[in-house]
Amino acid sequence: MVGLSLGEKHFIQGGIAQDLRSDGRKRLTYRPICVETGFIPQANGSARVRMGATNVISSVKAELGKPSSLQPDKGKVTIYVDCSPTAEPMFEGRGGDELSMELSVALQRCLLGGKSGAGAGIDLSSLIVVEGKICWDLYIDCLVISSDGNLLDALGAAIKAALSNTGIPRVNVAVGASGDQQPEVDISDEEFLQFDTSNIPVIVTLTKAGRHYIVDATSEEESQMNSAVSISVNRKGHICGLTKRGGAGLDPSIILDMISVAKHVSDQLINKLDSEIAAAEADEDES
Amino acid sequence: MEYVSPEGLRLDGRRPMEMRQIRAEIGAVAKADGSAVFEMGNTKVIAAVYGPREVQNRSQQMNDKALVRCEYSMANFSTGDRMRKPKGDRRSTEISLVIRQTMEACILTHLMPRSQIDIFVQVLQADGGTRSACINAATLALADAGIPLRDLVTSCSSGYLNSTPLLDLNYVEDSAGGPDVTVGFLPKLDKVTLLQMDSKLPIDIFENVMQLAIEGCKAVANYIREILLENTKQLEYRRGL
Repeated sequence: MVGLSLGEKHFIQGGIAQDLRSDGRKRLTYRPICVETGFIPQANGSARVRMGATNVISSVKAELGKPSSLQPDKGKVTIYVDCSPTAEPMFEGRGGDELSMELSVALQRCLLGGKSGAGAGIDLSSLIVVEGKICWDLYIDCLVISSDGNLLDALGAAIKAALSNTGIPRVNVAVGASGDQQPEVDISDEEFLQFDTSNIPVIVTLTKAGRHYIVDATSEEESQMNSAVSISVNRKGHICGLTKRGGAGLDPSIILDMISVAKHVSDQLINKLDSEIAAAEADEDES
Repeated sequence: MEYVSPEGLRLDGRRPMEMRQIRAEIGAVAKADGSAVFEMGNTKVIAAVYGPREVQNRSQQMNDKALVRCEYSMANFSTGDRMRKPKGDRRSTEISLVIRQTMEACILTHLMPRSQIDIFVQVLQADGGTRSACINAATLALADAGIPLRDLVTSCSSGYLNSTPLLDLNYVEDSAGGPDVTVGFLPKLDKVTLLQMDSKLPIDIFENVMQLAIEGCKAVANYIREILLENTKQLEYRRGL
């Protein structure tokens, strides 16, 4: 936990009010984002994202499974976040479980849509191999290595980067399997299918401190927040999910205002992230 | 199965006495007092040190020396197959204990009474020798945190397969069922602080295998010293000295 003196609190709040934060940023400026793909070679896809001192790793593993009977034409995606005690001694033992759970649920809400899988940011129907019988199960595991605020945005960015780094092996289904039989499959070692990530949303968290709201809050700034709204927006500018955290109530008109600001900010963020991901992939290809 | 080919090459193309490529980086976790990433081939671990600081649990406070604590955790994605419940199983508790004892032996705890030092190691990728990699990462992180140490403790493993002593086993060789000797070593004082072996080995061969692991530790120690020197130079440069 951050322990701030009264003077420091006033300094942070004053800075936000004057649109000049303690690290020199404006209210709606992100810290520089640094993406590194292929960080975990054993996974199907992985990425490390750094935003200032916040450092997260995301990895994607694909396994063949059976689609659920309610949605025979859709694959399954599970998002799981783990907070490493390296980030904060408080997370030792089971101490990080609560935050891990909160982040996992928020990410699922922002990226996977509702229970029916409708409106998901990730296209679940592209994961199907044989309808009703075989599909890919994607396990997205995230690890928080170092935390300095704004974990949700960083995790969202890491997942997007990891998915665009993911290669899913091509599967050849043996023809002739009929009726109720489980078809035989042959997983290719050489051919990989890329995942279409252009529609995966980014998450923009607006943290309200005092009368104003800021993006990409550091942990010092987060300690001053009264409420935060995380909005996931895709490239087309559609809102894919929304969560509000923090105790204080918000005026409905402010929420609408925040959404339109988030939409505006997300535009820049998506472009920035895409160019970072492309640069990281080019780097990886070279080495 | 043949682990050493007639030409004298191992499965991953190394010679029996060859280590995997090692790489280290200091300062991966900005908010910790000291941190380091350590890679041995595909094994990749990250260590963070918090402290010396106030003891969190008063009943554990010691009036004559510092309390050293350690937690080892493995990421879900660290192994080939995805792990489901990684926290607090017997294996990680045992490794936490081993690392704690090894590090405690080289920290000058009597200089920091009534305080606590936390060492957290996180395995990002496991490919054999995680124990050794964790100890090496923890040493670097402790040095980065500026904690007084008796010596830089380093660790390396060795084994014995196909009548050949092998240095620095990877996962395939580790799970072959042969003996696996993990040594923790203080290079300056020339002392062994950690020694673990499973399965059986004739005593004269054991001597060779242990000696091989000690040579490995010395090589790691040289590398760690280089990294620390490089880091200190950079700090010096940034300060404008």
